[in-house]
Amino acid sequence: MRTQNATAYRFLTPYLLIFAIFWIWPIISSFIISFQATRTVPWRFAPAFNWGRLIGDPAFYNALKNTLLILVIQVPVMIALAIVMAVLLNSPLLKARGLYRFAFFAPVVVGEVAYSAVFRLMFSLDFGIVNKLLDSIGLPKVDWFSNVTPAMALIMIAVTWRWAGYNAIIILAGLQSIPEDVYEAATLDRVSRVKQFFHITLPLLKPVIVFCAVLSIIGTMQLFTEPFLITERGGPGGGTETLGLLLYRQGFRSLNFGYASAVAYTMAGLAITITLVQLWLMREPK
Amino acid sequence: MAAVTLTNVVKRFGSFEVVHGANIDIADGEFVVFVGPSGCGKSTLLRMIAGLEDISGGDIAIGGKVMNDVEAADRGIAMVFQSYALYPHMTVEQNLSFGLRMNGNPKADTDRRVKRAAEILRIDELMQRRPKQLSGGQRQRVAIGRAIVREPQVFLFDEPLSNLDAELRVQMRVEISRLHKELGVTMIYVTHDQTEAMTLADRIVVLKAGNVEQIGAPLDLYDDPANRFVAGFIGSPKMNFLSAKVVDTSNSAAIIELVNHGGARLRKPLRDAFPAIGAEIVLGVRPEHFFEAGEGDCDIPVKADVAEHLGSVSYVYANSGPEELIVEREASRQRASGDHFTVSIKAERSLLFDKAGARIR
Repeated sequence: MRTQNATAYRFLTPYLLIFAIFWIWPIISSFIISFQATRTVPWRFAPAFNWGRLIGDPAFYNALKNTLLILVIQVPVMIALAIVMAVLLNSPLLKARGLYRFAFFAPVVVGEVAYSAVFRLMFSLDFGIVNKLLDSIGLPKVDWFSNVTPAMALIMIAVTWRWAGYNAIIILAGLQSIPEDVYEAATLDRVSRVKQFFHITLPLLKPVIVFCAVLSIIGTMQLFTEPFLITERGGPGGGTETLGLLLYRQGFRSLNFGYASAVAYTMAGLAITITLVQLWLMREPK
Repeated sequence: MAAVTLTNVVKRFGSFEVVHGANIDIADGEFVVFVGPSGCGKSTLLRMIAGLEDISGGDIAIGGKVMNDVEAADRGIAMVFQSYALYPHMTVEQNLSFGLRMNGNPKADTDRRVKRAAEILRIDELMQRRPKQLSGGQRQRVAIGRAIVREPQVFLFDEPLSNLDAELRVQMRVEISRLHKELGVTMIYVTHDQTEAMTLADRIVVLKAGNVEQIGAPLDLYDDPANRFVAGFIGSPKMNFLSAKVVDTSNSAAIIELVNHGGARLRKPLRDAFPAIGAEIVLGVRPEHFFEAGEGDCDIPVKADVAEHLGSVSYVYANSGPEELIVEREASRQRASGDHFTVSIKAERSLLFDKAGARIR
């Protein structure tokens, strides 16, 4: 048995080496860097330099506030929407189910730059179809890119458009694993469709919903593409800057690797904490 | 409590008809078992009675009221599913009370019903457990309990024991029988297991390919089957069928020749019909109706192929020409494989069927 294990590890060695160099080492290295002042040559150990700055940095709090705001509003809305989409997709009345399933999943496949460009066009003040529609029903045009609230809303709409279908497909798989005869038993018990949804479907979907929520929380904590490309690097005036964007700005624009590492560890720490709290709240009763 | 009447009930899935005009009368308080091979329409029939499947034609009445367009929940029935269909996220107590709670039934009455069901099924100690913490037999009890709390007029069971092991199945069979006596309500039970049907039923409905083949008390079906299918389906091990030919008819009897057994002949008295001379027919003999050489009306020599010794009886799988016969023997008269011996058939303990399978009496 031991010989077998040794042989297996020998086969695994190339992968493990690459994994150690390109995954494990950067994780450890950035942790070390976060305790170093990296704007001096040579870098020097200064624990309070980055972490101390983080605690007092208004840009960090702005990015944190924006990220958490998107998390708190967008994730629940998207998950709720995904559940509704999954239930509709699962309906026996639905025709051309395969087509809808593909359509809902398609946004994930579309290139990020392409979809961001289309969103910028659609929400453009003068040429965008969204403002034209608002105009046609007598509502005032919205300057999506120049005001903070519409810009945040735009980010949330874009992220929801991109990921709701993806989550719906995962939830659909969960829905299809609920046996039909459980619903038949409830029908014989004179339990209405609505009550069946709230008392049977939702509780049985809980593990899948938690899974989707955890994925979404991690994704939102790292949110970068949409504020970078759609609202032009967290504009207007940092109004949509997220932690991911702050990290990028510090690390790759200002080349302040130590501070960027501290931000990265804060993001990871927050994602883990929020996820653990959520798993604890949604735990199965004994 | 209520009688259940099916009149010319038809079920079609698209253009495919799966139940072809079933007529069944089930008396108030009766225990009726629908039995038949897979795909014979027995579960579909049960689900139509429950209201889980639409009826394509005919009428289903419960307690004298036609239920074709009545919602499943309003038919006064309760159903026990093959897979138990328990709510996995609820405790046993919640499973039992769920339907009542959702319908605003007074708490005191709900508690009374749940307590009664728990006592009847002896599941009091399991009330706070979840289905995944229960054994198969316990889950089945909870599923039955959920039916009991509804206090229905008719209980429907859809192959409730097929997921249990052999020992537990026997135990639950007895429980269900006891439950029927205790509650005294009408029960309709679907199974493909003829042993369950024989042991539980007041009357059995034998189905094949969407047709009712015969309805009757278990022993009536066993002793006097209407056709070859029923004769073969009811009884374990199944009836032996020997190819035969009519060689003469005279004096209210037919002389038949067993074509695969060296031309052995048997005189079979007949009451109603006389097949033509030369007609190909089938002689049915149950394993326990083979007698010792010389004791019957026709002897056939056979060679024991395999012998199964069950203790009280032994079954000898005997080869004689192209037909394999199953012969029941008392344990003391057991045969070892390879033995040559002679069995004897008595005319009055055998049945005749025509080539199409209809009984010739």
